[in-house]
Order: sequence, then C-alpha cells, then structure tokens
Amino acid sequence: MLLLLETPAGYALFTVKNKKLLKADADSIFENFKSVTDASRQVGLTAFHKFEDTKAAMEACTELTESSVGKSLKKFLKKNVVDAGLADSLTVLDKQLGININKKLGIEVSVMSDNLREIMRGVRLHLTELIEGLDEQEVRTMSLGLAHTLSRFKLKFSPDKVDTMIIQAVGLLDDLDKELNNFAMRLREWYGWHFPEMGKIITENLAYAKVVRLMGLKTKAKETDFSEVNVPEEIAAEVKQAAETSMGTEITDEDLGNIKTLSERVIELTEYRASLSEYLKLRMTAIAPNLTFMVGELVGARLISQAGSLMSLAKHPSSTVQILGAEKALFRALKTKKQTPKYGLIYHASLVGQSAPALKGKISRVLAAKLSLCCRVDALGDQVEPTLGEEFKEYVERRLATLEEGGMKSLSKGISRPTAGKHQKKPSVRGSGAAHSAEDDVVEAPKKRKAKAVEAEAEEEAEEAPAPKKKKKKKVVEEEAE
Amino acid sequence: MGKGGKAKGKGKDGKGGKGKGKVKGGGKGKKGGGKGGGKKGGGKKGGAAKVVIEPHRHEGAFVSKGKDDSLVTRNLVPGESVYGEKRLVAESADGEDKIEYRVWNPFRSKLGAGIVGGIGACPVKPGAKVLYLGGASGTTVSHVSDMVGPEGVVYAVEFSHRSGRDLTNMAKRRPNVVPIVEDARQPQRYRMLIGMVDCIFSDVAQPDQARIVTHNASFFLKNNGWVMISIKANCVDSTAAPEAVFASEIDKLRKDGVKPKEQLTLEPYHRDHALVVGIYRASKKKKEE
Ligand SMILES: C[S@@+](CC[C@H](N)C(=O)[O-])C[C@H]1O[C@@H](n2cnc3c(N)ncnc32)[C@H](O)[C@@H]1O
Repeated sequence: MLLLLETPAGYALFTVKNKKLLKADADSIFENFKSVTDASRQVGLTAFHKFEDTKAAMEACTELTESSVGKSLKKFLKKNVVDAGLADSLTVLDKQLGININKKLGIEVSVMSDNLREIMRGVRLHLTELIEGLDEQEVRTMSLGLAHTLSRFKLKFSPDKVDTMIIQAVGLLDDLDKELNNFAMRLREWYGWHFPEMGKIITENLAYAKVVRLMGLKTKAKETDFSEVNVPEEIAAEVKQAAETSMGTEITDEDLGNIKTLSERVIELTEYRASLSEYLKLRMTAIAPNLTFMVGELVGARLISQAGSLMSLAKHPSSTVQILGAEKALFRALKTKKQTPKYGLIYHASLVGQSAPALKGKISRVLAAKLSLCCRVDALGDQVEPTLGEEFKEYVERRLATLEEGGMKSLSKGISRPTAGKHQKKPSVRGSGAAHSAEDDVVEAPKKRKAKAVEAEAEEEAEEAPAPKKKKKKKVVEEEAE
Repeated sequence: MGKGGKAKGKGKDGKGGKGKGKVKGGGKGKKGGGKGGGKKGGGKKGGAAKVVIEPHRHEGAFVSKGKDDSLVTRNLVPGESVYGEKRLVAESADGEDKIEYRVWNPFRSKLGAGIVGGIGACPVKPGAKVLYLGGASGTTVSHVSDMVGPEGVVYAVEFSHRSGRDLTNMAKRRPNVVPIVEDARQPQRYRMLIGMVDCIFSDVAQPDQARIVTHNASFFLKNNGWVMISIKANCVDSTAAPEAVFASEIDKLRKDGVKPKEQLTLEPYHRDHALVVGIYRASKKKKEE
C-alpha cells in the first residue's frame, strides 16, 4: 500500500510497512503513530521529490487544488511507482486526483477507507520527521510563503472582479442620485428665498442649476440670454416676467456667490453621473449583453449587485430573480403567512413598468423566467450579441399585448417552448389556502440553485405549462401574479 | 456576564465627573487614550493612569486592570493596530521593557466573548497550532495570532475574496498567520499547506458547519485535539429555538467523534450564539492529557 502526501516542500510517497494496520480497528490506528519511532515502524518513506523553487511549488499546488496531475507529479509517480515496478495501490487524499492519476498513469488507486484515512492522519502528524532532510522550520516558512503566493494569485484573478466594477458603479450611481437630489433641493430652497417663482417654472433640476449659474440675481433676468443653457423661449419669457413681479428677498453678492457654487456642484455632479452611467452601460453590455438588453443596464446591474455576482445571479431560480430586492417583504410575508411579494428590483424594468397594474405581477414572472435564462447564457456562454435577449424581449412584449387584449386566453406559441401553448392554463382561479403553498413554493426555490440551463428550461416549463400534478403550484403562482 | 451593561454605565459617569482615580471614572472608550496620555503627560490622575496588565486565567490572554477590566492580547507587531483597536503600553515587571497590548472587544469577536464569558478551557494558547475556519477580515484571527505567539501557527481559511484580501493583508505583518482563500468545505484543496493542528476554531456561520468542522478534523486534527465552534442559531435553523439548535448541532458533532466538553452562550455580546468546545477522538485512557 502506497500513500501520496503533499507538503509545501514537495511530494512524498510512503509505503505502509505494517500491513496489519489495514485490517485493524480504525479507532486504534492512531495509537500506533504516537511518536516518530512508532510511526517509522508503520510506514517508510519510499520517495520524496523536493520542489526546486517557489515557482515550482506554486505551480504544483495550483494543479493539486484543481485535482489535475501536473507535470512534476506525473514524473514523480512514473519514476517511483510505474518504473520502479511497484504494483501496490496508491492512496490519495483527493478523490478526483486519484481518478485522474489512474487515468493518466494507470496506477491502481485505492478507495479511501476509515483505516487509510487514519493512517494518513498518523503520517501527517510526523510528516516532516518522517521525510529525511526536511526541517520543520523550513516547511513552515515554505507553507507560509506558498500560502501568500497562492492567495495573492487567487485574489488577483478573482472572477468576481468584473462584477465588482459593476456593483461598485451602480452603488455609486445610487449614492449620487441621492446626493444630487439633496443638493438640488437645497439649491431650490436657498435660491427660492430670492426668487421663489422660478421653482415652479423650471422644474428640471439641471436646468434650474444652469439658470441660477447663468443669471445670478433675478434683476439680471432681463438681459440674460437663456438660450445659452437650452431653455426654451416661452419658459425664458415666463422667467423674465416672473422676475419683474417676484416677491423674493434681496440677497448680497456673497450670498449669491455661495449659491452659485452650489449650483456649479449640482451641474458637475449631474455631468459626472451621466458619464458614470455611460460607463456602466458599456460594462454591462460587455459582461451581460442579454440581461442588459432585456431590462436595461441599471436594473440589470442592481440585480447583479443584489445577487453578489453575475454567476450567483445565474444560479438563482427565476422565482428568486423575480423577487430579488424584496427580501424584506418576502420574509415578512412568510412569517405572517401573508401573500408573498410579486416583484422586487424587476419592478423598475420598463417591461413591467409599462404594463397595466393588474398585469404587473404576471409580467414580472414571465420576465423573470426569461431573465434567468439570459443570465445563464451571459454568465456561462460567450455570446457578445444579445440575440437571446432580443428574442425574449419580443416574446415578453407579445405576451403583454395578448394579456392586455383581454385576456388570459391561451397564448399561441411561446418562442422557446412551442408546445407550451397546449398546456396553457385557462383564466386563473383565485385559489384558497394560498399562503401555505405559496410558502412552499418560495422556500423551495433556493434549493434549486445548482440548476443548469437545462433545468432552467424545465423549470420554466413548470411555470408556463404545468403538468397536472403541478396544478396546485401553478395556482399559487397565478395568484401571486394577480 | 453583565459586564457590557456595567461598562456602559461607567462610560457615562466618566464623561461627567472626571476620573476620581481607582475603579470608578473613565468609560471603556476612554481608557486606552487616558492611560497612554497619563503616562506621557505626567499622570495627573495618579495611580489610575498606569496600565496594569495581569495574565488572564487562559494563557496568552491578558486583562488590563484599572477603571474597568478589559481583555487584551500581547501585540505580536508592536506599534500597529489591525482594525483600529486601542493599544496599551505597559512596563514589564522590572520596569525596563515596554510591552504593547491590543484591546480585544468581545462584542466584535466570538472567541473574545467566550474568554470574557468565562469559558473553562481555551486550547488557543501560546505555541498552539490552530486551524481557523471563517477568518473573515482577520479581526479575531489577529488576536489568535497574538495568543499563540511566534511559536504557534494560525491557518486562517476564508472563502470570500473580499474578506480574504484583508485577511491576507493582515497576515503580511504576522508571520504566524497562514492565509488560505479557499472553501472550508473542501479541505483537500489546501491539504498541502497544513500539517496536523492542535485545535480547530470555526466561525463560518453556515448551516452545515458541524460537517465542515468534522471533515476538516478528519484531515488535520490530532486525536485529543480541540474543537471550538461558534454556533449562530439563526444560521442553522431560524425557526427552531436556539437551545434546540445548539443541542442538535452538538449531537452532530458527537456522532463524528467530537466529545463535547462545554457549551457557553455568548450573551450579552452576541445574541443567540453559543460557543461549543469539545475534544476530537478523545482516547479513553489518557483523558488527563
Ligand atoms: C461570522 S464571520 C467570522 C468572523 C470572524 N470569526 C471574526 O470574529 O472576526 C463568518 C465568515 O466565514 C466565512 N465563510 C462562510 N462559509 C465559509 C466556507 N465554507 N469556507 C470558508 N469561509 C467561509 C464568511 O465569508 C465570513 O467571513
């Protein structure tokens, strides 16, 4: 029986000398490894390959974490097991690595048993002492260095990195909106003392700020050319008129100076917001083209941000996508056995926004189903064109049109699911006892996280074309949507 | 227990009437600054300004005596705070050397709360090799690193890249911390970095924590090694009563070879949390060891 153990310093191959161990009671095995001398009676070092340098160690370890048989490991095993003519089976701690070794080198790999596990533990206890020429302190330094290199490498190539950019950007966008609103309100309030009438005439914040910056005191209204800031003529005239009869108070130049600074800030921030939003759009179309096409970059980015990453969003079932962002309402509903929310962040998507209030829930469900498919394609595929998104958006739009037309009558054909029509449900029935089953429905959802695209389709089918046994569930979904 | 409450009350006092010396004045927050300042500025407050550090019952931890006691650890990297915590400088017994300590806030750490709360045995001690699962940004890990000292090792496993970054950064300054950015559910992915350890501390806040811990134990924990788990009832089952959750978690551990020794609730520092300490594969004969 051979044992393969990996250390930060290199690979070690041990032979079990005391064959009795393999048959002994697993619990007693560790007793045989109390001291180094005990241990060396049980196992012997057959071979040891020391990594030449940190780079080699780093490479080897990366391969080991991936369970792949790297060059150095292959060479080591070939030389010391295959070429040495050892026919014993090999024990490896990582099952997948074992399978790969067997495939590549044809070495028989034994199945992990309690006894083997115990022996491995015993060897590990005295690992450095059992390997000649290896110094405990040296191994410690190496493992420290290796750990740092590995984690640095890992963090550098963090797959979430691109998502992080999006998450940060959308977070900043929200912050900016809040701040901008605050500033603009403050500006209106402040300048309003001087010229209260203008607030009503110019409702748009940016235009307001620009006018304040341009005009300054209201007495200057007459000679100001408002076309410079793109204010339409009739509004400009109105402002001029209002300035004549304004009942605002006088302010000093100093006051005005400060107000102008604020208006400048508002303008700057608005411009910055625009460029940030452009950046977000670019990023989003690059990493999630389909998702972005369906709901726009803002909602798309918020969904990703809520889920943590595009990948984890892709792993969510569509029922979760539908209510993402409404967790609070969901859990409240679950606790009190009330109806669960029908939509979360998705509510702000234009497809949902444009539908009639009564249909919003239904449409968000339809949209969520398609969205989760889009996310999966975006996360796992390598499409750059939103072909799927285009198709699905059209589908949802058509679906919306049909629903608005009157009806919940059957939809002729779903795009991705031609057979769905046959099973389409009749107008929904308001079921009773919904709260309970609604809960089942929702609670079940997170368990399905591993769903792959295939499952996703099945899931969708379940929602759109319920088989008879799913009737109850369907009813609930319908009701949620109502 | 009850300490949290008391400390708060004192804090208020301290702001009003200035330190009357002795145990009364000075809130928690003020202590570090007050003492340090007292030292350099000639100590108006007399005796109260001096930092008095006493060893805690558990080796590796210390208590700073005075206005009100607080848990501290001896700073392995003097002159640096890890997460903005207060540092205290005390003179050693002979008055020659200055030793720096870092204040350990039990509200921010499960282990800290456990030690303040009076846990019976603490396997995290000088020279120990500790596998720490769920290292997060390394706040508690840094104190563990202080406790085990230069002879010990802390292998800190954390799978979130965001926290892993802070953890790795912290570890740069502390040669006894080995940062591992991996999922604790897959110990085989970091098996080559870790030798046998004396103790596993786990605070991963996952429903399958018990399994994660015993799985890691089967790879890396010595027989008679210690297991310390912080269980957040909410994380395992948010509907059941915390007590029931703790009991069922302990049961799971027992099934996988952990002999539970002690269970401590972490009130008032952490709600519905318990710290469970046990021994892995305790050998029957040599229990004393
Ligand atoms: C409650 S926090 C730990 C706080 C830390 N012990 C302290 O006191 O500073 C839990 C941490 O465990 C991490 N975690 C959760 N599951 C994990 C897993 N399977 N493997 C590694 N780390 C995990 C989380 O990312 C989180 O940072």
